[in-house]
Formats: sequence, structure tokens, C-alpha cells
Amino acid sequence: MITPPEINWLAILPLLVLGLGAAVVLLVDVQWKPAPGRLNFLAVVILGLAALGTGAQGWWLGRHEAGEVTGSPLPFGGMVVIDRYAIFAGLLLVTVAALGVGAGARFFESLGRRAAEGLALLLLSTSGFILLASTTQMVMMFLGLEIGSISLYVLAGFSRQEPRSEEAAIKYFLLGSFASAIFVYGVALVFAGTGSLDLLDHRTLLDREIILRPAVLLIGLGLVVVGLAFKVTAAPFHAWAPDVYQGAPAGTVGFMAALAKVGGFAALARVLVTGFESYIGTWGTVVAAMAVLSMLLGSFLAVVQSDFRRLLAYSGVAHAGFILTGVVAGTSGVGSIWFYLAVYAIQLVGAYAVVAAVSGAASAGSPLASYAGLARRQPLLARALTILLLGMAGIPLTSGFIAKFGVFQDAFRAGFGWLVVVAMVASVVSFFIYLRVIVAMYMQEPEGTEALSVSRPLRVVLVAAIAVTLVLGLFPIPLLRLTAISLPL
Amino acid sequence: MLTALIVMPAVAALIVALIPRQRSELFLPIGVTVSMAPLALAGYLFVEFTAGEAGFQLVERTMLYAPWGFSWYLGVDGISLPLVILTALLVPISLAASVAITHRLKEFVMYTLLLEAGLIGVFLALDLLLFFVFFEAILIPMYFIIGIWGGERRIYAAVKFFLYTAFGSALMMAAIIALAVVAGREAGAPTFAYTDLLDLAIDQSTSRWLFAAFALAFAIKVPMFPLHTWLPDAHVEAPTAGSVLLAAILLKLGTYGLVRFNLGLFPQASVDFVPIMAALAVIGIIYGAVVAIVQPDLKKLVAYSSVSHLGFIVLGTFALTSGGLAGGVIQNVNHGITTGALFLLVGMIYDRRHTKQIADFGGLQKVMPAYGAVFLFTIFASIGLPGLNGFIGEFMVLIGSFPALPVHAIIAAAGVVLAAIYLLWAYERAFTGIPEKPENQKLLDLNLREKVLLAPLVILMLVIGLYPKVLLDRVQPSAEAVLDRIEATTDYVAPAPGRLSQVLMIGEGE
Repeated sequence: MITPPEINWLAILPLLVLGLGAAVVLLVDVQWKPAPGRLNFLAVVILGLAALGTGAQGWWLGRHEAGEVTGSPLPFGGMVVIDRYAIFAGLLLVTVAALGVGAGARFFESLGRRAAEGLALLLLSTSGFILLASTTQMVMMFLGLEIGSISLYVLAGFSRQEPRSEEAAIKYFLLGSFASAIFVYGVALVFAGTGSLDLLDHRTLLDREIILRPAVLLIGLGLVVVGLAFKVTAAPFHAWAPDVYQGAPAGTVGFMAALAKVGGFAALARVLVTGFESYIGTWGTVVAAMAVLSMLLGSFLAVVQSDFRRLLAYSGVAHAGFILTGVVAGTSGVGSIWFYLAVYAIQLVGAYAVVAAVSGAASAGSPLASYAGLARRQPLLARALTILLLGMAGIPLTSGFIAKFGVFQDAFRAGFGWLVVVAMVASVVSFFIYLRVIVAMYMQEPEGTEALSVSRPLRVVLVAAIAVTLVLGLFPIPLLRLTAISLPL
Repeated sequence: MLTALIVMPAVAALIVALIPRQRSELFLPIGVTVSMAPLALAGYLFVEFTAGEAGFQLVERTMLYAPWGFSWYLGVDGISLPLVILTALLVPISLAASVAITHRLKEFVMYTLLLEAGLIGVFLALDLLLFFVFFEAILIPMYFIIGIWGGERRIYAAVKFFLYTAFGSALMMAAIIALAVVAGREAGAPTFAYTDLLDLAIDQSTSRWLFAAFALAFAIKVPMFPLHTWLPDAHVEAPTAGSVLLAAILLKLGTYGLVRFNLGLFPQASVDFVPIMAALAVIGIIYGAVVAIVQPDLKKLVAYSSVSHLGFIVLGTFALTSGGLAGGVIQNVNHGITTGALFLLVGMIYDRRHTKQIADFGGLQKVMPAYGAVFLFTIFASIGLPGLNGFIGEFMVLIGSFPALPVHAIIAAAGVVLAAIYLLWAYERAFTGIPEKPENQKLLDLNLREKVLLAPLVILMLVIGLYPKVLLDRVQPSAEAVLDRIEATTDYVAPAPGRLSQVLMIGEGE
């Protein structure tokens, strides 16, 4: 007898909200033609509802663990999963997207009637990455990855008057599709090697050492890692990032980069930790090598950049390396990875929000020279960016320090002491990068004298990013406790 | 109470932040006033502190995050007590000396107060992670103080300062993590608590690596030859208050760290590393002094003299005798007082003449008699004239290191002579003779404000010089305890008469 798969709408509630929300945004735009600012507000409300949906999942999970409700955390035949890992990822992604709307508010307003499309794409992209993080099925992961990424490809080219934006979109699309193809080929090989697409099956099979074709499985796993490494801009699969993050509209880059990083790492860690942790001896070294390459390449190449957005992109490569330092620790590193991702993603949105304010929301490129004397032209922006950069550098009393400390500690405990030493050297190099920008802002004369205005949504984003950097730097314990229990099933 | 000492300056910074930007005339007076609160508390700390005891006192300990073993763990002993008080004393003085700063004064006062919070935190922290947080966090205010209010090459100097120290502390952080991991493996739970890590059994090669990582961080801070090149740049470019705090306190983080962490946590490795550390210390003493002789710039001269003087402290520390150790700790304080005063004096003449070149002065003694007198007095204290504070420290270091490292001690003694040469020669060129340059003939002597802020330092030079027991009673037990631990855990035996009590016959009748 065939049992019908269990249906639990709660498991896909955030996805439903976001998907329907995207449609609502488009319909509202057609029907009432509201002012663009209103549409931004609507998008944030939808994201808020999605966050409530995720919160409801958490509530359900709590009761489920207490044995108060029946039902499986793996409804729809195991296609999606409700676990703490997915819930944390969902909340983080929704937060990043909401801040992204704030940071890009002026860009969306400048789009006029196309704003609705942009916001709908943002909502869809968020839903894709949430799906990516909340499934143990590799094919569902692919689905989430594509929904998330394709929306971002379109957004990268959304500013039509900028040729560099188009170039960025094409580059992102071609290379991104290529990476997706590699990912899905890897999934196929993993299936060929084990006979299953479910990471939970893989864990069982590996524990019992029932592997059909171990060599095929390893190649497949390698390709899956490569596909995800592309999304999180880990070296040597990072080459597209500087061009794309330089060319895409400034108002969108922050959440583009942050969503892809959070989603990508959520999937990468789940694949490696849930499915293949018993192979950690094999993939640990590979991931450590990728971490070393990312940290060193990212930090050193960032030093020679003359465009702030390229600089942030390369520093993003280095950060991917730092996060990978936590990945090598397996399950015990998951909490630290989450803390790092949460802090970094929000700082990233904040930093690109400053870029949008300095260079214009639809601009491509943001030469470092335009940051000279920013403290004189707009003290709020300069102060915010300084705090964010110090946070990214990992200076104590900022949350960036706690984040780095966490991943380094886990790597050390997992026996990767040498990796920590390399990481420390890379972080000193990265100090230099961020200091250059701070020096330019505070200690050099401004080019233009006109004051820059800071819109209200931008102000909210900056305050949130500063709060994440400083408040979590001084009082990290609550978030540390939360991330420490946000483990995958 | 210790928590309050750290929090107070931060609160003071907040108070200054609340003053409206237009009332710029209020920043310094209010800054000085609010920084009196930590000073008062530090005075109270001095009274509360029980002299003659070796262990940590007034300990506060709360576990903050058990999975990491991270706790809010503060305590004070004879090694950190003088430095805490010195910090609390020098901050109001250097703020009061900063009248020349007009540009972005509010931030300046705030950064200085935040720096104070960080510095006191470093000396009080007994949790290694907490220590590291403070150790690294003080870079930020110092970086801005040099980078915004410094001289012409301030940006270069600020970045150099930051990167040098950040590099050292990066490796130290790896070592701190390693310690916690080893502790976790041995004791079951990771910990950063200093007192727990003391009992850790670390195998020899690991402990040597860890020692090296800590020593590198502190050697850059001290700075020991050949890692000193950031110091002259930072000093020359920094504003007066920056130079004072940098020389008087920031450098002491290095020597303090060497005693507290290197000797404390890695006794065997400390014994093994004595030849290297002592040799570098002596090179630093002679090199710093020789380079100081030829400096045409008064501030650079004082900066290089710091390299030389700090060499004495490191030599005393690694002589591994209680005389050397206690002498080093006392010399920490003495150098802070005298060099702080010297930088203040150089700053005062710079505010009047806008030059620091010795060649631009001449005959100042005639024009500014009070200034000249204080300058000469401070120079004597710095050289180590008996009866003044510098003598006690240097004498103890030399007498303490002679039994252990006789050759080093003899060479180092030459450094004392060289100090007399570079300081007195500089004094001769700048102060004696007839004021020939017209700019020098109309210079004003010290005003009341300057006299008031120099007075406590001058008094301390005399008090410590004439009655060092005030300090010794508190420092010596802790220094002896460090040595006791080394002797207990290794087969090292301090050479006779390596014990201070054998030499000076003090600290017994308490």
C-alpha cells in the first residue's frame, strides 16, 4: 500500500508568502499604480510576514520537540525540512532582504514603474535561497539555487542605462549557469554513487558503508562543492565576483552578495555536515585548501583595488575563506558559521548601502577617490562605514571579532591549527585594506564639497548594521547561544 | 570595583559625547573633570590593595559564555597595580596638556577616554580572551589620535603603528586559542582564565611555539630591537597627549605582558629563551641610546631613549631574578613618569615655537627658567640620578641581572652612561648659552596650568626616588611569586643573590 506523503503547509509557509507576495506586488502595481516608495513598504511587509511564517515554524518545532504535536519535520515526502538550521537561515535571509529593500529604496524609486518587477524578483530570490537552506533533497536544493540565482542575474542587469551593468548581468548569468550545471551534474553523480538524492540517506549509507560506487560519489560531491563554492565566491571560483559586484546597480549589490553567500553557505554546510560528515577526512583538506586560497587571494588582491566595490568583492572572497575555516570543523563549526554569516551579511548590506549613497543608487563602479574626505561631506555615512569596516576587519568589541574568533576556535579544535595561523596573517592584510578606506574618509581632503543626503530607509539600514556590529560586539552571548543550537537535522 | 574602573572612563566618554558640538570651550575642562573620577577610584584602589601579598586581589569573576570558557575575570596584583594607577593619573594630565588641539576636540577627548578604559582593562583582565579584546581594542583610539591630530606624516605613522601591532597580536590570538583548546582537551572544558591556564601541562615544543607567539606580540609593543621601527614614527607624528600615553603606558603593555603571560604561562620556555631575549634587550639598550645621541629632533630623541630604557626592563625581566623582575616592574612606572613628563615638556615648547629641532633652540634656560629647571630635573630622573625615581629601577635591574647575566649587565650599565650623554648634550644645546635666535628671546615661561600638570609627575619622581618602599612593598611579593613558580615548575634555580630580600633586606618586617 502506498502511504500518501504527509502535508504540512507550515513547512512551506514562508515560501508561499514570498511567492504570493511577489505576485501581489506586481498586481498592486498594475491595479493602483502606487508611488514607488509605497511598493518598497509593501515588500518589507511581505518579508515581515514571511519572517512571521518562519517564526511559526520555530514555534511548531518547539512543540514538536516537546512532543505536544504530532507530524514529521520532514513533510512532503522529505522534500522540505523544518529544523532549527532552516529556521535560522530563513530568518536571516528575510532580514537581509528587508535591509536590502531599505538600502535599495532609492534605486527602486528611480526605476518608476519597473520597481514592482525589481521588488518581485527580490522576493522570489529570497524564497529560492530559503528553499535552498531548508531541504535535504539535492534536487530541491538545485531548484532553490536556480530560483534564487536567476532572479539575481536579472537584477544585476536592471539598470538599463549602464552598459557595465549589462556586462555584469551577462557575466553573472553565463558563469552562474555554468556553476549550476556543475552542481546538478555533481548531484547526478552523487545519485549514481549512492542511489539516493537525500542527504539523510547518504548519512545512513555512509555510516553503514553501503556505497555503490565510492569513486563516483567522491567526484559528484566534489562537483557539488564546486557549484556552491561559486555561489559563495570562494577561490578559485571567485573570478566573476569583482566584475559583477562592481557593475550591478549599487542599490541591489548588497543583498545580491549577502543572499547568495548566506544561501550558498547554508547549502554547503548542510551537504557536507548532514550528508557526508563521515568523509570529513577527505573533504576537510580540500575545503581547508579552498579556505587558504580564498583568504590569501582575497586579502592580497583587495589591497591593489582602486574601486571600493571591487575591494568589497575581493574582501568578500577573503570572508568566504574565513567562513570555510569554520566549515572544516564539521558539525561543531555550524554555530560559528551562522554567527559569522549573520554578522557579515548584514554588514555587507550596510556597506553597499553606503556605496549607493556615495556613488548613486543606479551607478556602476565606485572609485576609492570618491570616499576621500567623506567624513567632512557626510559624517553619518563615514562613521557608519568606519564601524562596518572595523567590524569586517574583526577588531575586538565589534561582532566581527566574535565571528572570526568563533570559526578560528572551531578550526583549531578540529586540528587545523595551521589554517588558523594562515587566517590570522590574512586578517592582518585585510586590516590594511579597510584602513585605507578609513584613512581616505577621515584624513584626506574631499574631492567635491556638496553634502550627500541620507534618505530615511538608508538611515534605518545603517543603524541596523551598526547595531549588529557594535551591540553584538559587546553582547554577543544571546546570538551565540541561538546559533549554537541552530544545527541541521 | 575593578569593573567600575574600566567602565568609568567609557561613561566619561559618553558624557563628553553629550556636550553639544558648539560648546567647544567645554570639552577639555569637562574631559579633565570626568577623568578625575577614575583617578579617584584608582587612588582608592591603592588604599584597598593589601601590600605584601602576592596573589590577585579584589578578584571579580563571572562566567559569560561557558561553551567557550569565556569569563569576565578581573584582578589586580603588584605587577598591574602601579600601571593602573599610572594610567588613571596620566590621562587627565595629558588631556589638560592638549590645549593646542582646536580641531575636532570633542572626538579627541572621547578617544582619549576610551583609550583609558581599554588600557585599564588590559592591566586588569585575567581572562586571556578578555585581555586580547582590550589589547586589540586600544589600537583603534590610538590609531585615530595619531592619524587625525598628528603631524605631517601622520597617516603613514598611524597605519604603520596599527599594522605592526596588529600583526603581533594576530599570532598571539592564535596562541590564545591554542591554549584554550589544550585546556579543553586536558580539563574537559575550554577556559581562558589565567589562573586555570597556569596549571596546564603543555609539552615542550608546543609551549615554545606559544611562547614565541606571545613574545612576538609583546616585543613589537615594547618595542624590542629589531621590531622598534614603528615607534619613532608614531611618536614624532603623534600629538603630545598621544605621545605621552603611547610612551608611558602603551609600551608597558609589552613589558607587562612578558612578565604576566610569557613568564607566567610558559616557565620552561622562558628559561630556554633567556639568551635570545636578554641579548635583544641589551642590543636595544645600546642601539637606542646610540641612535638617540645623533637625533636632531627632540621628540625623536626621547622616542629612541624609550627603546633604550625599555631594554632595561626586558633585561631585568629575563634575568629571572626577583630583583630584576621587581626592578623591571618599577622601571615600568618610572619610565612612564619621566618619559611622560619629557613628552609633555617637548609638547609645551612645540606649542610655543612650532619646532622640535634641537638646533632651533639655544639658551632657553635664560628665557624660561622654570621650564628649564623642570626639564633638567626630569632628565636627571631619566638618567637615574640617585635620589630620583629612575635610579631605583635601573639600579635594581642591574643588580638583579648581574648574578644571572653578568656580561649583559655590564654592557647595559654602559647604557646608563650613554643616557647621560644624549640627554645632557641635548640639554646643553637647547638650554644653555645665550638665546641668539630672536624667536627664542620672547618665549613665555611655564604658566600656572602647565606647572599644575607637571607637579604631580615631579613629586612622584621625588617620592619614588626617596621612598621606593611605597612601590616595593606592593611589587616585590608578586615578582617573587612569578620567580617561585618558575623555580617550582622547572629545574631553574635563581642564582644567589637572586632574591631581592637577600640584597636589600626589605619586605620582611611587614
